[in-house]
Amino acid sequence: MTASECSASGYNFAYLDEQTKRMIRRGLLKAVAIPGYQVPFGGREMPMPYGWGTGGMQLTASVLGQDDVLKVIDQGADDTTNAVSIRAFFERVAGVTTTTATGEADVIQTRHRVPEQPLRQGQLLIFQVPIPEPLRFIEPSEEETRLMHALEEYGVMHVKLYEDIARHGHIATTYAYPVKVDGRYVTDPSPIPKFDNPKLHMNEALMLFGAGREKRLYAIPPYTRVESLDFEDHPFEVQQWDAPCAICGARDTFLDEVITDDRGGRMFVCSDTDYCQSRTEEVA
Amino acid sequence: MRWNAFDTPVHDSQRVYRQLLSAMAEPGTFAEVGGAPLPPSGAAIGTACWATLLTLCDLDTRVWLAPELDAAGINEALAFHTGARQAERPDEADFALVTPATLAGQGEAEPPAFQEGSDTYPDRSTTLVVMLDRLDTAGPWALSGPGIPGQRRLGVGQGGEALMTRLAANRARFPRGLDAILTCGTRLAAVPRSTRITRSASEEVDTCMSP
Repeated sequence: MTASECSASGYNFAYLDEQTKRMIRRGLLKAVAIPGYQVPFGGREMPMPYGWGTGGMQLTASVLGQDDVLKVIDQGADDTTNAVSIRAFFERVAGVTTTTATGEADVIQTRHRVPEQPLRQGQLLIFQVPIPEPLRFIEPSEEETRLMHALEEYGVMHVKLYEDIARHGHIATTYAYPVKVDGRYVTDPSPIPKFDNPKLHMNEALMLFGAGREKRLYAIPPYTRVESLDFEDHPFEVQQWDAPCAICGARDTFLDEVITDDRGGRMFVCSDTDYCQSRTEEVA
Repeated sequence: MRWNAFDTPVHDSQRVYRQLLSAMAEPGTFAEVGGAPLPPSGAAIGTACWATLLTLCDLDTRVWLAPELDAAGINEALAFHTGARQAERPDEADFALVTPATLAGQGEAEPPAFQEGSDTYPDRSTTLVVMLDRLDTAGPWALSGPGIPGQRRLGVGQGGEALMTRLAANRARFPRGLDAILTCGTRLAAVPRSTRITRSASEEVDTCMSP
Protein backbone atom coordinates (compact mmCIF):
# COMPACT_ATOMS: atom_id res chain seq x y z
CA MET A 1 0.00 0.00 0.00
CA THR A 2 1.38 3.40 -0.93
CA ALA A 3 1.09 6.48 1.21
CA SER A 4 -1.27 8.10 -1.27
CA GLU A 5 -3.74 5.26 -0.93
CA CYS A 6 -4.01 5.60 2.79
CA SER A 7 -2.72 8.46 4.87
CA ALA A 8 -2.43 6.39 8.08
CA SER A 9 -0.13 3.55 7.11
CA GLY A 10 -0.66 0.15 8.62
CA TYR A 11 -4.41 0.22 8.08
CA ASN A 12 -6.47 -0.98 5.17
CA PHE A 13 -8.30 1.77 3.27
CA ALA A 14 -11.13 3.04 5.52
CA TYR A 15 -9.90 1.05 8.55
CA LEU A 16 -11.97 -2.15 8.17
CA ASP A 17 -10.48 -5.25 6.54
CA GLU A 18 -11.88 -6.36 3.20
CA GLN A 19 -13.54 -9.49 4.58
CA THR A 20 -15.56 -7.43 7.08
CA LYS A 21 -16.48 -4.90 4.41
CA ARG A 22 -17.79 -7.68 2.14
CA MET A 23 -19.88 -9.12 4.98
CA ILE A 24 -21.44 -5.71 5.65
CA ARG A 25 -21.84 -5.03 1.92
CA ARG A 26 -23.76 -8.27 1.40
CA GLY A 27 -25.90 -7.42 4.41
CA LEU A 28 -26.65 -3.97 3.00
CA LEU A 29 -27.82 -5.43 -0.32
CA LYS A 30 -30.31 -7.62 1.59
CA ALA A 31 -31.34 -4.65 3.74
CA VAL A 32 -32.10 -2.61 0.62
CA ALA A 33 -34.03 -5.51 -0.92
CA ILE A 34 -36.23 -5.83 2.20
CA PRO A 35 -36.86 -2.19 3.14
CA GLY A 36 -37.06 -1.64 6.91
CA TYR A 37 -36.05 -5.18 7.87
CA GLN A 38 -33.16 -5.43 10.36
CA VAL A 39 -30.33 -7.58 9.03
CA PRO A 40 -27.98 -9.03 11.68
CA PHE A 41 -24.29 -8.50 10.95
CA GLY A 42 -21.01 -9.33 12.62
CA GLY A 43 -20.29 -5.97 14.20
CA ARG A 44 -16.61 -5.24 14.75
CA GLU A 45 -14.86 -3.33 17.48
CA MET A 46 -14.14 0.19 16.37
CA PRO A 47 -11.57 2.44 18.03
CA MET A 48 -14.23 4.20 20.10
CA PRO A 49 -16.96 3.12 22.52
CA TYR A 50 -20.41 1.86 21.64
CA GLY A 51 -22.89 4.68 21.58
CA TRP A 52 -20.58 7.00 19.70
CA GLY A 53 -21.65 5.83 16.27
CA THR A 54 -19.77 2.59 15.71
CA GLY A 55 -22.63 1.18 13.62
CA GLY A 56 -22.77 4.16 11.31
CA MET A 57 -18.98 4.17 11.04
CA GLN A 58 -18.81 0.52 9.99
CA LEU A 59 -21.37 1.18 7.27
CA THR A 60 -19.52 4.29 6.12
CA ALA A 61 -16.21 2.39 6.08
CA SER A 62 -17.79 -0.36 3.97
CA VAL A 63 -19.27 1.86 1.28
CA LEU A 64 -16.78 4.74 1.19
CA GLY A 65 -14.57 5.18 -1.87
CA GLN A 66 -11.43 7.26 -2.34
CA ASP A 67 -13.24 9.77 -4.59
CA ASP A 68 -16.17 10.29 -2.22
CA VAL A 69 -16.72 13.53 -0.35
CA LEU A 70 -17.78 12.88 3.23
CA LYS A 71 -19.88 14.97 5.59
CA VAL A 72 -20.49 14.04 9.22
CA ILE A 73 -23.13 15.66 11.42
CA ASP A 74 -24.10 15.26 15.04
CA GLN A 75 -27.56 16.59 15.93
CA GLY A 76 -27.39 18.63 12.73
CA ALA A 77 -24.07 20.27 13.59
CA ASP A 78 -20.76 19.78 11.77
CA ASP A 79 -18.70 21.19 14.63
CA THR A 80 -19.59 19.05 17.65
CA THR A 81 -17.22 16.48 19.18
CA ASN A 82 -18.73 13.38 17.63
CA ALA A 83 -18.87 14.87 14.14
CA VAL A 84 -15.36 16.33 14.30
CA SER A 85 -13.86 13.06 15.58
CA ILE A 86 -15.51 10.82 13.00
CA ARG A 87 -14.64 13.21 10.19
CA ALA A 88 -11.00 13.31 11.32
CA PHE A 89 -10.99 9.51 11.60
CA PHE A 90 -11.98 9.01 7.96
CA GLU A 91 -9.61 11.74 6.80
CA ARG A 92 -6.82 9.76 8.42
CA VAL A 93 -7.72 6.17 7.55
CA ALA A 94 -9.26 6.75 4.11
CA GLY A 95 -7.71 10.03 3.01
CA VAL A 96 -11.07 11.21 1.67
CA THR A 97 -12.10 14.80 1.13
CA THR A 98 -14.56 16.09 3.70
CA THR A 99 -17.04 18.92 3.59
CA THR A 100 -19.68 20.58 5.72
CA ALA A 101 -21.87 21.50 2.73
CA THR A 102 -24.81 19.11 2.38
CA GLY A 103 -25.04 19.60 -1.38
CA GLU A 104 -21.38 18.76 -2.02
CA ALA A 105 -21.31 15.51 -0.02
CA ASP A 106 -21.60 12.05 -1.59
CA VAL A 107 -21.81 10.26 1.74
CA ILE A 108 -23.31 11.86 4.85
CA GLN A 109 -23.01 10.12 8.20
CA THR A 110 -25.52 11.50 10.65
CA ARG A 111 -26.39 11.27 14.28
CA HIS A 112 -30.05 12.05 14.93
CA ARG A 113 -30.91 14.51 12.14
CA VAL A 114 -31.82 14.60 8.47
CA PRO A 115 -30.28 17.70 6.82
CA GLU A 116 -32.73 20.53 6.08
CA GLN A 117 -31.54 20.89 2.49
CA PRO A 118 -33.30 18.22 0.35
CA LEU A 119 -30.97 15.39 -0.61
CA ARG A 120 -30.43 14.39 -4.24
CA GLN A 121 -30.38 11.11 -6.09
CA GLY A 122 -27.10 9.25 -5.61
CA GLN A 123 -26.34 10.64 -2.16
CA LEU A 124 -26.01 8.24 0.76
CA LEU A 125 -27.32 9.13 4.20
CA ILE A 126 -25.94 6.86 6.92
CA PHE A 127 -27.63 6.95 10.33
CA GLN A 128 -26.08 6.03 13.66
CA VAL A 129 -28.65 3.95 15.54
CA PRO A 130 -28.61 3.20 19.30
CA ILE A 131 -31.60 0.82 19.48
CA PRO A 132 -32.75 -0.48 16.09
CA GLU A 133 -35.80 -2.38 17.34
CA PRO A 134 -38.89 -0.14 17.63
CA LEU A 135 -40.72 -2.85 19.59
CA ARG A 136 -37.93 -3.33 22.15
CA PHE A 137 -39.45 -1.17 24.90
CA ILE A 138 -42.66 -3.13 24.62
CA GLU A 139 -41.19 -6.61 24.18
CA PRO A 140 -37.71 -7.28 25.57
CA SER A 141 -37.25 -10.66 23.86
CA GLU A 142 -35.48 -10.60 20.51
CA GLU A 143 -37.09 -13.89 19.55
CA GLU A 144 -40.55 -12.44 20.19
CA THR A 145 -39.96 -9.16 18.34
CA ARG A 146 -38.57 -11.07 15.37
CA LEU A 147 -41.75 -13.16 15.31
CA MET A 148 -43.88 -10.03 15.64
CA HIS A 149 -42.17 -8.57 12.57
CA ALA A 150 -42.62 -11.85 10.70
CA LEU A 151 -46.34 -11.92 11.48
CA GLU A 152 -46.76 -8.16 10.97
CA GLU A 153 -48.07 -8.09 14.51
CA TYR A 154 -47.82 -4.37 15.21
CA GLY A 155 -50.92 -3.74 17.32
CA VAL A 156 -48.86 -3.04 20.45
CA MET A 157 -47.14 -0.13 18.76
CA HIS A 158 -50.50 1.57 18.35
CA VAL A 159 -51.35 0.71 21.96
CA LYS A 160 -48.21 2.55 23.04
CA LEU A 161 -49.18 5.63 21.02
CA TYR A 162 -52.72 5.38 22.41
CA GLU A 163 -51.38 5.34 25.98
CA ASP A 164 -49.67 8.63 25.13
CA ILE A 165 -53.00 10.10 24.11
CA ALA A 166 -54.78 8.72 27.18
CA ARG A 167 -52.15 10.23 29.47
CA HIS A 168 -51.23 13.48 27.73
CA GLY A 169 -54.12 14.14 25.34
CA HIS A 170 -51.78 13.91 22.35
CA ILE A 171 -49.04 11.63 21.02
CA ALA A 172 -46.12 12.66 23.22
CA THR A 173 -43.41 10.73 21.36
CA THR A 174 -41.14 13.39 19.90
CA TYR A 175 -38.13 11.47 18.60
CA ALA A 176 -37.47 7.94 17.32
CA TYR A 177 -41.08 8.11 16.19
CA PRO A 178 -41.96 4.73 14.61
CA VAL A 179 -42.55 4.55 10.87
CA LYS A 180 -43.90 1.92 8.50
CA VAL A 181 -41.69 1.37 5.46
CA ASP A 182 -43.34 0.51 2.14
CA GLY A 183 -46.45 -0.62 4.01
CA ARG A 184 -44.71 -3.58 5.65
CA TYR A 185 -42.02 -3.23 8.34
CA VAL A 186 -42.41 -1.00 11.36
CA THR A 187 -39.00 0.60 11.71
CA ASP A 188 -37.14 2.86 14.10
CA PRO A 189 -35.93 5.90 12.13
CA SER A 190 -33.18 6.30 14.82
CA PRO A 191 -33.61 9.12 17.36
CA ILE A 192 -34.27 11.83 14.78
CA PRO A 193 -36.87 14.36 15.91
CA LYS A 194 -40.28 13.51 14.48
CA PHE A 195 -39.90 16.83 12.64
CA ASP A 196 -37.62 14.88 10.25
CA ASN A 197 -39.97 11.92 9.71
CA PRO A 198 -41.74 13.45 6.68
CA LYS A 199 -38.32 13.86 4.99
CA LEU A 200 -37.89 10.08 4.95
CA HIS A 201 -40.94 9.67 2.72
CA MET A 202 -39.96 9.46 -0.96
CA ASN A 203 -36.50 10.87 -0.24
CA GLU A 204 -34.24 10.82 -3.31
CA ALA A 205 -31.22 9.55 -1.35
CA LEU A 206 -30.55 6.02 -0.16
CA MET A 207 -30.75 5.86 3.63
CA LEU A 208 -28.74 3.26 5.54
CA PHE A 209 -28.97 2.58 9.27
CA GLY A 210 -26.27 0.94 11.39
CA ALA A 211 -26.47 -0.14 15.04
CA GLY A 212 -23.02 -1.18 16.30
CA ARG A 213 -23.83 -2.50 19.77
CA GLU A 214 -26.97 -4.32 18.61
CA LYS A 215 -25.26 -5.44 15.40
CA ARG A 216 -28.16 -4.68 13.10
CA LEU A 217 -28.33 -2.78 9.83
CA TYR A 218 -31.32 -1.74 7.75
CA ALA A 219 -32.20 0.53 4.88
CA ILE A 220 -34.82 2.74 3.34
CA PRO A 221 -34.31 2.91 -0.45
CA PRO A 222 -34.94 6.17 -2.32
CA TYR A 223 -38.50 6.88 -3.50
CA THR A 224 -40.01 4.66 -0.82
CA ARG A 225 -43.25 5.18 1.08
CA VAL A 226 -42.55 5.94 4.72
CA GLU A 227 -45.57 6.59 6.94
CA SER A 228 -45.41 7.71 10.56
CA LEU A 229 -47.84 5.67 12.65
CA ASP A 230 -50.88 7.61 13.87
CA PHE A 231 -54.65 7.54 14.33
CA GLU A 232 -57.44 8.99 12.17
CA ASP A 233 -58.53 11.30 14.98
CA HIS A 234 -54.96 11.99 16.13
CA PRO A 235 -53.00 12.45 12.89
CA PHE A 236 -49.21 12.66 12.92
CA GLU A 237 -47.93 16.19 13.54
CA VAL A 238 -44.46 17.71 13.69
CA GLN A 239 -43.07 20.18 16.20
CA GLN A 240 -43.62 23.90 15.69
CA TRP A 241 -41.96 26.93 17.18
CA ASP A 242 -43.34 30.36 18.04
CA ALA A 243 -40.25 32.27 16.94
CA PRO A 244 -37.95 31.94 13.90
CA CYS A 245 -34.26 30.98 14.14
CA ALA A 246 -32.46 33.77 16.05
CA ILE A 247 -29.53 33.68 13.61
CA CYS A 248 -30.94 33.16 10.10
CA GLY A 249 -34.62 33.79 10.64
CA ALA A 250 -35.79 30.49 9.15
CA ARG A 251 -39.30 29.44 10.12
CA ASP A 252 -39.31 25.99 8.53
CA THR A 253 -36.36 24.32 10.30
CA PHE A 254 -35.80 22.31 13.45
CA LEU A 255 -34.67 24.65 16.24
CA ASP A 256 -32.43 23.94 19.22
CA GLU A 257 -32.91 25.82 22.47
CA VAL A 258 -29.65 27.43 23.57
CA ILE A 259 -29.28 28.77 27.12
CA THR A 260 -27.39 32.07 26.97
CA ASP A 261 -26.98 33.06 30.64
CA ASP A 262 -27.93 31.94 34.15
CA ARG A 263 -30.95 34.25 34.43
CA GLY A 264 -33.21 32.28 32.15
CA GLY A 265 -32.03 33.89 28.93
CA ARG A 266 -32.29 31.64 25.90
CA MET A 267 -32.50 31.63 22.15
CA PHE A 268 -33.72 29.24 19.47
CA VAL A 269 -31.37 28.51 16.57
CA CYS A 270 -31.30 26.07 13.66
CA SER A 271 -29.93 22.67 14.62
CA ASP A 272 -28.59 22.24 11.06
CA THR A 273 -25.49 24.47 11.18
CA ASP A 274 -24.69 24.20 7.47
CA TYR A 275 -28.20 25.23 6.46
CA CYS A 276 -28.22 28.12 8.94
CA GLN A 277 -24.81 29.34 7.78
CA SER A 278 -25.66 29.18 4.08
CA ARG A 279 -28.84 31.18 4.74
CA THR A 280 -26.92 33.80 6.71
CA GLU A 281 -24.41 34.13 3.86
CA GLU A 282 -27.24 34.52 1.33
CA VAL A 283 -28.74 37.38 3.29
CA ALA A 284 -25.38 39.09 3.82
CA MET B 1 -7.60 -20.25 -19.43
CA ARG B 2 -6.58 -17.21 -17.48
CA TRP B 3 -9.13 -15.53 -15.23
CA ASN B 4 -7.89 -12.18 -14.01
CA ALA B 5 -8.85 -10.45 -10.78
CA PHE B 6 -9.10 -6.70 -10.13
CA ASP B 7 -5.93 -4.65 -10.57
CA THR B 8 -6.49 -2.82 -7.28
CA PRO B 9 -8.87 -5.09 -5.37
CA VAL B 10 -9.71 -2.65 -2.55
CA HIS B 11 -10.77 0.26 -4.75
CA ASP B 12 -12.11 -1.67 -7.73
CA SER B 13 -14.39 -3.82 -5.60
CA GLN B 14 -15.58 -0.73 -3.72
CA ARG B 15 -16.50 0.95 -7.00
CA VAL B 16 -18.35 -2.09 -8.31
CA TYR B 17 -20.09 -2.50 -4.96
CA ARG B 18 -21.43 1.04 -5.07
CA GLN B 19 -22.78 0.32 -8.55
CA LEU B 20 -24.45 -2.81 -7.20
CA LEU B 21 -25.86 -0.92 -4.22
CA SER B 22 -27.30 1.80 -6.47
CA ALA B 23 -28.72 -0.82 -8.83
CA MET B 24 -30.41 -2.62 -5.94
CA ALA B 25 -31.67 0.64 -4.41
CA GLU B 26 -33.04 1.85 -7.76
CA PRO B 27 -34.33 -1.18 -9.63
CA GLY B 28 -34.37 -0.79 -13.40
CA THR B 29 -31.41 1.61 -13.57
CA PHE B 30 -28.25 0.49 -15.32
CA ALA B 31 -24.56 0.75 -14.51
CA GLU B 32 -21.62 0.07 -16.82
CA VAL B 33 -18.84 -1.73 -15.00
CA GLY B 34 -15.53 -0.17 -16.08
CA GLY B 35 -11.98 -1.22 -15.34
CA ALA B 36 -12.99 -4.77 -14.49
CA PRO B 37 -11.18 -7.82 -15.91
CA LEU B 38 -12.60 -9.57 -18.95
CA PRO B 39 -13.31 -13.29 -18.44
CA PRO B 40 -11.28 -15.52 -20.80
CA SER B 41 -12.64 -16.48 -24.21
CA GLY B 42 -14.74 -19.58 -23.85
CA ALA B 43 -16.23 -18.38 -20.57
CA ALA B 44 -20.00 -18.30 -20.40
CA ILE B 45 -20.18 -15.19 -18.22
CA GLY B 46 -19.48 -11.54 -18.93
CA THR B 47 -17.42 -8.80 -17.32
CA ALA B 48 -20.19 -7.42 -15.07
CA CYS B 49 -21.02 -10.91 -13.81
CA TRP B 50 -17.38 -11.72 -13.03
CA ALA B 51 -16.87 -8.34 -11.34
CA THR B 52 -19.96 -8.96 -9.19
CA LEU B 53 -18.58 -12.31 -8.03
CA LEU B 54 -15.14 -10.85 -7.29
CA THR B 55 -16.80 -8.08 -5.29
CA LEU B 56 -19.26 -10.06 -3.18
CA CYS B 57 -17.85 -13.57 -2.78
CA ASP B 58 -15.37 -14.79 -0.21
CA LEU B 59 -14.82 -17.82 1.97
CA ASP B 60 -18.09 -17.15 3.81
CA THR B 61 -20.22 -17.57 0.70
CA ARG B 62 -21.42 -20.59 -1.22
CA VAL B 63 -21.97 -20.29 -4.92
CA TRP B 64 -24.19 -22.49 -7.07
CA LEU B 65 -23.40 -22.59 -10.76
CA ALA B 66 -25.94 -23.50 -13.42
CA PRO B 67 -24.54 -26.36 -15.54
CA GLU B 68 -24.75 -24.32 -18.76
CA LEU B 69 -22.45 -21.64 -17.30
CA ASP B 70 -19.77 -24.10 -16.19
CA ALA B 71 -17.10 -23.35 -18.77
CA ALA B 72 -13.44 -22.37 -19.01
CA GLY B 73 -12.74 -23.48 -15.44
CA ILE B 74 -14.87 -20.85 -13.72
CA ASN B 75 -15.25 -22.93 -10.56
CA GLU B 76 -11.51 -23.17 -10.05
CA ALA B 77 -11.07 -19.48 -10.88
CA LEU B 78 -13.72 -18.47 -8.37
CA ALA B 79 -12.21 -20.65 -5.65
CA PHE B 80 -8.73 -19.31 -6.42
CA HIS B 81 -9.61 -15.62 -6.47
CA THR B 82 -12.31 -15.41 -3.78
CA GLY B 83 -12.13 -18.60 -1.71
CA ALA B 84 -15.88 -19.12 -2.22
CA ARG B 85 -17.17 -22.65 -1.81
CA GLN B 86 -19.36 -24.47 -4.27
CA ALA B 87 -22.92 -25.11 -3.11
CA GLU B 88 -23.95 -28.75 -3.56
CA ARG B 89 -27.63 -27.90 -3.78
CA PRO B 90 -29.31 -24.72 -5.05
CA ASP B 91 -31.07 -24.11 -1.73
CA GLU B 92 -27.70 -23.93 0.04
CA ALA B 93 -26.42 -21.15 -2.18
CA ASP B 94 -25.80 -17.55 -1.13
CA PHE B 95 -25.25 -16.69 -4.76
CA ALA B 96 -26.50 -18.61 -7.77
CA LEU B 97 -25.19 -18.04 -11.25
CA VAL B 98 -28.05 -18.65 -13.65
CA THR B 99 -29.53 -17.88 -17.05
CA PRO B 100 -33.24 -17.44 -17.74
CA ALA B 101 -33.18 -20.99 -19.15
CA THR B 102 -32.06 -22.31 -15.75
CA LEU B 103 -35.17 -20.87 -14.16
CA ALA B 104 -37.41 -22.28 -16.87
CA GLY B 105 -36.19 -25.80 -16.07
CA GLN B 106 -34.68 -27.92 -18.79
CA GLY B 107 -36.73 -30.67 -20.38
CA GLU B 108 -38.52 -32.77 -17.78
CA ALA B 109 -36.49 -31.41 -14.89
CA GLU B 110 -38.04 -29.05 -12.36
CA PRO B 111 -36.37 -25.62 -12.13
CA PRO B 112 -33.91 -25.47 -9.22
CA ALA B 113 -35.37 -24.41 -5.86
CA PHE B 114 -33.27 -21.63 -4.34
CA GLN B 115 -33.31 -20.46 -0.75
CA GLU B 116 -35.95 -17.81 -0.05
CA GLY B 117 -35.17 -17.30 3.62
CA SER B 118 -37.76 -17.56 6.36
CA ASP B 119 -40.38 -15.10 7.62
CA THR B 120 -38.17 -14.37 10.63
CA TYR B 121 -34.89 -14.28 8.68
CA PRO B 122 -35.79 -13.29 5.11
CA ASP B 123 -32.21 -12.10 4.53
CA ARG B 124 -30.91 -15.68 4.56
CA SER B 125 -31.82 -16.16 0.93
CA THR B 126 -30.12 -16.78 -2.40
CA THR B 127 -29.13 -13.83 -4.56
CA LEU B 128 -29.40 -14.71 -8.24
CA VAL B 129 -26.68 -13.43 -10.55
CA VAL B 130 -28.28 -13.70 -13.96
CA MET B 131 -26.47 -13.83 -17.33
CA LEU B 132 -28.60 -12.22 -20.03
CA ASP B 133 -28.13 -11.76 -23.77
CA ARG B 134 -29.92 -8.42 -23.60
CA LEU B 135 -30.53 -5.88 -20.84
CA ASP B 136 -32.30 -2.63 -21.66
CA THR B 137 -35.45 -0.59 -21.25
CA ALA B 138 -37.11 -2.07 -24.34
CA GLY B 139 -39.16 -4.76 -22.75
CA PRO B 140 -42.67 -5.61 -21.74
CA TRP B 141 -41.83 -5.50 -18.03
CA ALA B 142 -42.89 -2.55 -15.91
CA LEU B 143 -41.25 -2.17 -12.52
CA SER B 144 -42.61 -0.18 -9.59
CA GLY B 145 -42.14 -0.05 -5.84
CA PRO B 146 -39.30 1.11 -3.56
CA GLY B 147 -36.51 2.90 -5.43
CA ILE B 148 -38.69 3.69 -8.42
CA PRO B 149 -40.40 7.05 -8.91
CA GLY B 150 -43.48 6.01 -10.85
CA GLN B 151 -42.47 3.22 -13.16
CA ARG B 152 -39.41 1.87 -15.02
CA ARG B 153 -39.26 -0.39 -18.05
CA LEU B 154 -37.06 -3.44 -18.35
CA GLY B 155 -36.15 -5.75 -21.23
CA VAL B 156 -34.24 -8.91 -20.45
CA GLY B 157 -34.05 -10.63 -23.83
CA GLN B 158 -34.54 -14.24 -24.67
CA GLY B 159 -36.27 -16.45 -22.15
CA GLY B 160 -37.03 -13.41 -20.03
CA GLU B 161 -40.51 -14.74 -19.39
CA ALA B 162 -39.26 -17.47 -17.02
CA LEU B 163 -36.96 -15.06 -15.16
CA MET B 164 -39.48 -12.28 -14.71
CA THR B 165 -42.31 -14.66 -13.82
CA ARG B 166 -40.11 -16.13 -11.10
CA LEU B 167 -39.20 -12.67 -9.79
CA ALA B 168 -42.80 -11.46 -9.97
CA ALA B 169 -43.77 -14.41 -7.74
CA ASN B 170 -41.64 -12.85 -4.97
CA ARG B 171 -44.40 -10.39 -4.22
CA ALA B 172 -46.83 -13.02 -2.93
CA ARG B 173 -44.23 -14.43 -0.52
CA PHE B 174 -42.75 -11.19 0.75
CA PRO B 175 -40.64 -10.80 2.87
CA ARG B 176 -39.29 -14.14 1.66
CA GLY B 177 -37.97 -14.13 -1.89
CA LEU B 178 -35.07 -14.03 -4.32
CA ASP B 179 -33.14 -10.92 -5.22
CA ALA B 180 -31.61 -10.76 -8.66
CA ILE B 181 -28.55 -9.01 -10.05
CA LEU B 182 -28.93 -8.87 -13.82
CA THR B 183 -25.86 -8.74 -16.04
CA CYS B 184 -25.21 -8.43 -19.76
CA GLY B 185 -21.66 -7.80 -20.95
CA THR B 186 -20.40 -4.87 -18.89
CA ARG B 187 -23.90 -3.72 -17.92
CA LEU B 188 -25.65 -4.51 -14.68
CA ALA B 189 -29.02 -3.86 -13.06
CA ALA B 190 -30.95 -5.40 -10.18
CA VAL B 191 -34.45 -6.47 -9.27
CA PRO B 192 -34.88 -6.92 -5.51
CA ARG B 193 -37.82 -8.83 -4.04
CA SER B 194 -39.53 -5.55 -3.07
CA THR B 195 -40.16 -4.69 -6.75
CA ARG B 196 -43.64 -5.10 -8.24
CA ILE B 197 -43.45 -6.49 -11.76
CA THR B 198 -46.20 -6.24 -14.34
CA ARG B 199 -46.33 -6.99 -18.04
CA SER B 200 -47.23 -4.36 -20.62
CA ALA B 201 -46.51 -3.40 -24.24
CA SER B 202 -42.91 -2.35 -25.04
CA GLU B 203 -41.80 1.10 -26.24
CA GLU B 204 -38.38 2.58 -25.42
CA VAL B 205 -35.10 1.30 -26.84
CA ASP B 206 -31.67 1.57 -25.19
CA THR B 207 -30.13 -1.73 -26.07
CA CYS B 208 -27.12 -3.64 -24.83
CA MET B 209 -26.45 -6.72 -26.92
CA SER B 210 -23.75 -9.05 -25.70
CA PRO B 211 -21.33 -10.16 -28.45
